[in-house]
Amino acid sequence: MNFKLFFKHRATELSLTIIFVVGFALLVATSGGVLLTRQSLQGFLTYLAVPIVIGMAQMVVLAIGQMNLAVGAMGGVSAAIMAVLMADHHLPIWLALLIGFLSATAVGAINGALVVITQLNGFIITLGTMTILLGFQYRLVRTFTVDSYPKSLPDFGNKNILGFPLILVIAFVTSVLLSLFFSRTVTGRQVLATGGNHIAARLSGISNGRSVFIAHTLSGSLVGIAAIITISSLPGINRSIGGDWMLASFAAPIIGGVLMAGGTVAVFGTVVAAGVVRLVDIARAQYSLDPSIVSLTVGIVVLSTVALSEWRRRSSQRALEGKKDAK
Amino acid sequence: MSTVLIMRRIVSDQRVVLTTLTVGLFIYFGLKNSAFFSTDFVIYPLLRDGAVLTVIGLAQLCALSVGHLNLAVGRMAAVAALASGAAYQYWHLSLIPGLLIGLCVGGALGFVAGLIIVKSQVNAFIVTLAMDFALLGFVTFVYVTFTGATAAFITKPKGMEFWRNTSLHQYCIGGVCGPKVFPMMLVPAIVALILVGFLYAKTRLGRELLSTGSNLRAAKLSGIPVDYRVIMAHTFSGLLAALAGVMLAFTNGSFTASIGSQFMLPSFLGPVLGGTLLVGGSVQVLGTFIGTMLTLVIRQGLSVQGIGLETLNIALGLVLLTALSLGQIQKMFTTIRMRGQT
Repeated sequence: MNFKLFFKHRATELSLTIIFVVGFALLVATSGGVLLTRQSLQGFLTYLAVPIVIGMAQMVVLAIGQMNLAVGAMGGVSAAIMAVLMADHHLPIWLALLIGFLSATAVGAINGALVVITQLNGFIITLGTMTILLGFQYRLVRTFTVDSYPKSLPDFGNKNILGFPLILVIAFVTSVLLSLFFSRTVTGRQVLATGGNHIAARLSGISNGRSVFIAHTLSGSLVGIAAIITISSLPGINRSIGGDWMLASFAAPIIGGVLMAGGTVAVFGTVVAAGVVRLVDIARAQYSLDPSIVSLTVGIVVLSTVALSEWRRRSSQRALEGKKDAK
Repeated sequence: MSTVLIMRRIVSDQRVVLTTLTVGLFIYFGLKNSAFFSTDFVIYPLLRDGAVLTVIGLAQLCALSVGHLNLAVGRMAAVAALASGAAYQYWHLSLIPGLLIGLCVGGALGFVAGLIIVKSQVNAFIVTLAMDFALLGFVTFVYVTFTGATAAFITKPKGMEFWRNTSLHQYCIGGVCGPKVFPMMLVPAIVALILVGFLYAKTRLGRELLSTGSNLRAAKLSGIPVDYRVIMAHTFSGLLAALAGVMLAFTNGSFTASIGSQFMLPSFLGPVLGGTLLVGGSVQVLGTFIGTMLTLVIRQGLSVQGIGLETLNIALGLVLLTALSLGQIQKMFTTIRMRGQT
């Protein structure tokens, strides 16, 4: 195995992993070991699950060179549907969760269909659906917090497998499946091809419309999973659920090395980046800083990552061209 | 030209259709509930909000003219309002210098956004989105650090009350006074409309911006410095966003971190309804004003009917999606007709 090549291709993931390990060690050291107690580790890992899954929900849309502004609103509505079905209509848990998951998937499919039909950028379409969904979320839960669902759901959320929270395991399994989808299936490769160069994709017989539709639908399904994780790990569902998902959903994939122009995914990078963002959050709590400092830091990091990655891509391209000329 | 042709042209003009729709809806809401015709409680605030949202629509329009988007309009407005508010609170500046500081800050932010876009060649919406996140943290952080629990600058410069509360009623020429429903806030909005309209309709710079938007390569080949034009478009966008931010702060009576947080959707609704293309190359300055007023009439009309916030959101989202799809359907029909002719 060529190690040099390996490091070159995995540079982002490797440096992120190092940052994560060093940052975690620093936090443990400065907190005097408090972070290593069972309870705070549990909290750290439990609230890592949602950022990972919504990061991936954004990632699949970024893979086709678009974005999904409605991630938060879709998650909020989906969680609200589950909560209301269980609390007011007394549906069994599995059915309520299934309906919520399917409705998120359906909204994703609608987004995809609208993008394909109108030929507009996904950004503006999802801005529209986001507004509509925020209205629905408010209509569903009003100003209340819905929490009168069966006790077995929070129990499910608190379960552990080999010391890991079950919901984090769900997030990991989802990311492995997604990674396999993009690397091993024809459909996954086709979606990536559309994102990389849609003219080349069309010329090689790929239906770009189908790829766009699949990416948006998949994004909806992932949001549905995030909603299931949310409802089983939080004490109640209100209208603020999903309100702070947008930054997190973009931060994880962009920092994790997904190109904004489309055509790439970085599942592992996204997962590690979500962990790094979570560390910033923990650090804020530890030094009792204002919450706004988190979005300031993450925003600046995202901005510089975007600029840097593009600069790196262009300089490597220039180097390639130089090599060609030399020959 | 035959009258039929003129008639057809008038009817097919999007602005005429929009104005008719706006006025029609206004009368419809008024007939359903006569409280809607109240000058003090409905029409005056409607026009005042319309003034602010038109300016933010124009800010978006500048970015759209070169085929870009500015997702940070709201936060640029917030930072500009922050700067103006600080100028009033700590340096006790009077109204105009404080406003100018805000405008400079907004323009500078737009310039930085444009510069990053041009230098890094990253999509405009990603750069402005990341900027939005960074500024969001910055604004809240500054307000909380400097003002503590109030989280607002509350010093009101002299003349602020005049701008936020009075109408053209105060001015009389030869015994004829201005209408009472005309808020003073509309004056800066109209100035902005005229300036932006003049820029795009009459100046070389405006035409160069539009050609940059409609076809970057062609613009470059015809000698237009496209990079500078992109930076300029974003600078104008930042400037106008700043103006809207300060105007909103005046309307509210205080400078807070929440200024601009509701700007994103209206900033797109106005220009898009007014007929500005999302892909660049064509702008409708007056249409932005009419589009903004249409959305406000829908919003106000529904809320006078006692319909809640949630339905308003649903309605506005549907309006945006319908407007976008209509444009596309229209284009489809034109293509089909053209195919039929050849």
